Amino acid sequence: MISLTSYAFVSMTLFTIGVMGVVSRRNVFVIYMSIELMLNGVNLFLVTFARHHLNLDGQIITIMVIAIAAAEAAIFLSVIILLFRSKKSLDTDMFTALKDKESK
Amino acid sequence: MESGLIIWIILAPLLGALLNGGLYFYHITQRAIPQRLFSIIGTLSPILGFIFTLILFLDMKETGNTYSQDLFTWLEVGNLHISMKLLADNLSIFMTMFVTFVGSLIHIYAIGYMHKDPGFGKFFAYFNLFLASMLILVLADNPIVLFIGWEGVGVCSYLLIKFYYGKAENVTAANKAFIVNRVGDLGFLLGVVTLFFAVGEGDMSFSSLEANIGNVSPELLVLSGVLLFVGAMGKSAQIPLFTWLPDAMAGPTPISALIHAATMVTAGIYMVARFHFLYEGVEGVGLYIAYVGAASALFAAIIACKQQDIKKILAYSTMSQLGYMFIGVGLGYYSSGLFHVFTHAFFKAMLFMGAGGIIIAVHHHQNIFKIAQERVNLPIISGTFLIGVIAISGIPPFSGFFSKDAILAAAFAEGEYLIWIIGMFTAFLTAFYMFRLYFILFWAPNKKVGNPYVYTSKTITIPLAILALGAFGAGFLNLPTVLWGEHLVDTWLLQLNSKVLHMSHLTEWILMILSVGVASAGIYVSYKKYANFDVFKPESEEGLIANKFYVDEFYDKTLVKPIQKLSVFIDKVVDTKIIDGFIMGTCNKFVEFGKIVGTLQTANVRFYAAFMLVGMSCIFIYLYISLGL
Amino acid sequence: MSADILTFIIFLPAVTAFALMVTTKNVQAVRNIAFLSTLAILVLVLKLYISFEPQAQMQFVTNTPWIVEYGIRYYIGVDGFSLTILMMIAILIPTAYLLLWDGRTKGYWINMLLVQTGVTGTLLSLDIVLFYFFWEVMLLPVFLMIGIMGTGNKVFTTIKVTVYTMGGSLLMFLAIMYLGVSYFNEFGEWSFQYDKLTQITTLSHTERLYCFFAFVIAFGIKIPLFPLHTWIMDTYKNAPTGAVFLLSSIMAKLGVYAIVRFMIPLFPDIYVEFSTYFVCLGLFGLIYFGIAALKQDDMKRMFAYSSASHLSFIAAGIFSLNSYGINGALYLMIAHAMATGALFLLVGLIHYKTGYKTISDLGGLAKKAPILTFVFAIMLFANVGLPGTNGFVAELLIIFGIYEFNHTLGYIAGFTVVIGASYMLWMFQRAILQDRVGEALKMSDLKMKEILGFAPWIVLVFLMGIAPDLFIDKFEPTVTYFLDDILKIGEVK
Repeated sequence: MISLTSYAFVSMTLFTIGVMGVVSRRNVFVIYMSIELMLNGVNLFLVTFARHHLNLDGQIITIMVIAIAAAEAAIFLSVIILLFRSKKSLDTDMFTALKDKESK
Repeated sequence: MESGLIIWIILAPLLGALLNGGLYFYHITQRAIPQRLFSIIGTLSPILGFIFTLILFLDMKETGNTYSQDLFTWLEVGNLHISMKLLADNLSIFMTMFVTFVGSLIHIYAIGYMHKDPGFGKFFAYFNLFLASMLILVLADNPIVLFIGWEGVGVCSYLLIKFYYGKAENVTAANKAFIVNRVGDLGFLLGVVTLFFAVGEGDMSFSSLEANIGNVSPELLVLSGVLLFVGAMGKSAQIPLFTWLPDAMAGPTPISALIHAATMVTAGIYMVARFHFLYEGVEGVGLYIAYVGAASALFAAIIACKQQDIKKILAYSTMSQLGYMFIGVGLGYYSSGLFHVFTHAFFKAMLFMGAGGIIIAVHHHQNIFKIAQERVNLPIISGTFLIGVIAISGIPPFSGFFSKDAILAAAFAEGEYLIWIIGMFTAFLTAFYMFRLYFILFWAPNKKVGNPYVYTSKTITIPLAILALGAFGAGFLNLPTVLWGEHLVDTWLLQLNSKVLHMSHLTEWILMILSVGVASAGIYVSYKKYANFDVFKPESEEGLIANKFYVDEFYDKTLVKPIQKLSVFIDKVVDTKIIDGFIMGTCNKFVEFGKIVGTLQTANVRFYAAFMLVGMSCIFIYLYISLGL
Repeated sequence: MSADILTFIIFLPAVTAFALMVTTKNVQAVRNIAFLSTLAILVLVLKLYISFEPQAQMQFVTNTPWIVEYGIRYYIGVDGFSLTILMMIAILIPTAYLLLWDGRTKGYWINMLLVQTGVTGTLLSLDIVLFYFFWEVMLLPVFLMIGIMGTGNKVFTTIKVTVYTMGGSLLMFLAIMYLGVSYFNEFGEWSFQYDKLTQITTLSHTERLYCFFAFVIAFGIKIPLFPLHTWIMDTYKNAPTGAVFLLSSIMAKLGVYAIVRFMIPLFPDIYVEFSTYFVCLGLFGLIYFGIAALKQDDMKRMFAYSSASHLSFIAAGIFSLNSYGINGALYLMIAHAMATGALFLLVGLIHYKTGYKTISDLGGLAKKAPILTFVFAIMLFANVGLPGTNGFVAELLIIFGIYEFNHTLGYIAGFTVVIGASYMLWMFQRAILQDRVGEALKMSDLKMKEILGFAPWIVLVFLMGIAPDLFIDKFEPTVTYFLDDILKIGEVK
């Protein structure tokens, strides 16, 4: 059988790739996709250990996460459209309106 | 009944002051009040005071009682019990007599002198207030009440010197007088405090202080004596607190006559006499006082020789004579010093009043050469002036001779030959500069043919005449036994334990002849130089002496300017830069720290994500290690 | 005489203020009603004063629970010491209203009322947390007054003074909590009443030292003691006259009062131990501020320094450990409140009438406004300590007190006599007497209501100077009893 470690390894890899994507990529869509990657990595992890402990809790959480991811997708994409409308760019580094300006 | 009268001596001028003051306010805000009313109130009150004093004096002469009046408890804290107590003993009645008498005369004089001034009512209010304060000073039964009067005369002096306050110099002079006086008052107050704690018991009245003076250790006795004398130095314009007196001449002449000749400046000598029980125990301090007096007398006399303003000459002459008085009381001859106070009051007040009359008559010139150039004929004034000048020079049988001679004899008898020599030389100078004044004013030829006669009002001439009588005759009140006299004043002031002159009659005669000789020499030298002086070539104003030895400039440079610089330094540097700088600096550090923390807020999503990553990793590593998994 | 009179005295102004806030917009009506309420307070305080017996204990005490869980109670009362200050406040404030009459906004009067509540509450609180509450309450309306109605750099000034004072109060609050916790640890129940807190025995010397200094810093900022004084320069210069008057005449005194009421009974050993240090600090402040006042051009700044000078002298008197010094300090508090308060108000009036308040811009007022000059001169001489005025009695007593404490320091204390005179007279000469350089100012003299406002002060200045015993009688027993108690504990510990 495929060992537990392999599954954990795969999910960690997915998760890590997702994290790296969030931190280093500037394109908004890529960040979104990386977030999805992170979520899926975690899902895999949960399902693996649910199966391992023969407990349905993990699987239930996974389904909730998928549902939340779907909702999040909707919101995320709408916000991206609004952001694009205001700055005509998909570069996250352009959106710094909340920055701490040099105050007196 | 008699003791109840004491407060009325003070209340008479005090009520006069309040009444005049209130009427003056009414006068300037609502309706004008005729000058007559002000003058009547203004002169009646001191005259009333004099009458009350006379009643008391006659009673005391007959019965030999002393009276005291306890008005109310002033302050009662801890061991301090001070009452408002007034004392009429021989010393205070002696002082009160001539203060009210000369004061009344000068008030009458002021009616004429201040006639055209719009502030007439205000002047008399202040003037009466001054007299009331002086009387409080003299009739006080404890040092605190004395101090109340002491400061009171200081304030009134300030108010009156700056009477013509539109001109800055007058107000500056008034400030100077008040502040220099205050330095003296500091000494006096500290002396009183020291004395109170050193004596430790009793109620601070003079009689209880006198009774308990033995409690005080010798060092504290010396300290108190010196501190109290600092007050006298300020009030009576001795070195080094004298610079205010010449400047005080900025005030109207009546106040120069009353305050700066006859009364306020003599308060210092009165105070030393009042504290005789203290000074008797510390002869060293007394000697120091005598030396200060001698030095001041000489110093002032030298300066007076070169002064050109008539009032300033008289001011320095006052300082000089005050020095003589301090020689007297310093050496323990209290009644001789006080006798000189008495005679001096008469002739100095008269000289000032005469000067005032001259100043009015020549349209307010005060430079003696200008006056000589514009000379007018003023028979009564010049006559009384001559009497005054002779009296102050110490020519018998005028009063100045007896009082001055008594002091000089005292110095000789005590073996203080240096003081005696200084006194003699100063007497020479006194005669010299006083007659210089007289000759230039009235004798030196000014190329005019016949001087016009100017009428002087009776309010000026009559008081002058009365004072002239005093200047002439006052000496006879204290003729020494060597001249077949009864030295009445000395007897009257027996309470002061003044030292008695122990000298052979021969020595006394020789000393007397010497003083007359010295004075005559002064007159002669003055005559030679000034009787035919060309008044259109005034003396130069250059030189050390003519510039008063640059004392004022010295004080300015060493005291006034540095303190002003210190003030600016404190405000601009210490307060603003150092202390406030420290506090504001701390605040700014906080703000800057906040800014540094603020740089974390980059509003960049990736940055935040990365930071969260780092943070959580650290937490997990920490947990991993600490929980030992 | 119901015990509730104190509560009434404290809260009447606040109630009036809130009522006025919501009802009317008419400035005159607001002002008149505010004035009436302060007069009502005056009447009440007079009644209190008359029915007060001069003995040592607290009278008219109210002690009800407030925040029960922590033992904080609404505990107020009055004794000779606070009564005298209360009387002073009650007389000063209505007369100040008369002198601030024209040209103010509605907010001005409401803030003044609120400050009066805060000040009275601070004075009468005997529970430390209640005291702290009122201590902050009295500051906030002043914050508003300076920030809204001030001049110059007003926002910066008001923030500076508020933060500075609150910083000190925060330290004080830490100390209060420390004390409260210690009391709880020792006795098992919470209490913040000052007489209960004096019974704490478990604190070490170092802990008491820190608490003491926390309190001292908070009160020292208010007084002000050197070197916590730098806020007063800008504040007094930029604040509106009413605020300056309140700050200088009343709130500063409360700093001294608080030292006597709370710090000394709570830490008598440290009080005695550090007394020399504080006397020296006070005397240093006297001379330092006095010299700094000389060259000031802005009159309010000069009086700020003068105020600081006198208040340092008062603080020196408090720490002199004898009845002369403390009685003298209390008397000087009253004398100074009147004299300096009057001078500040006069400067405010001059500013209002001529538009100027710097000495170099003024001059020649004496000819145009003789009554104002007269009042100015009297208050000036009271400030300088002329015999016949209350200032002299007070300064005399303090000099006696400091001398008894330490001879040399007593001699230094005497310098108060000279210092004040110099800058006061010089200012008087240039600002009032001398003719102005340039064209003459337009100036009107004091109106009747202003004269009426000053009249009680002038009367009191002389009455207190000529017959001081009448007034000292009321509070001397308290001081003596208080002192004996403290010194015994202080020495023994």
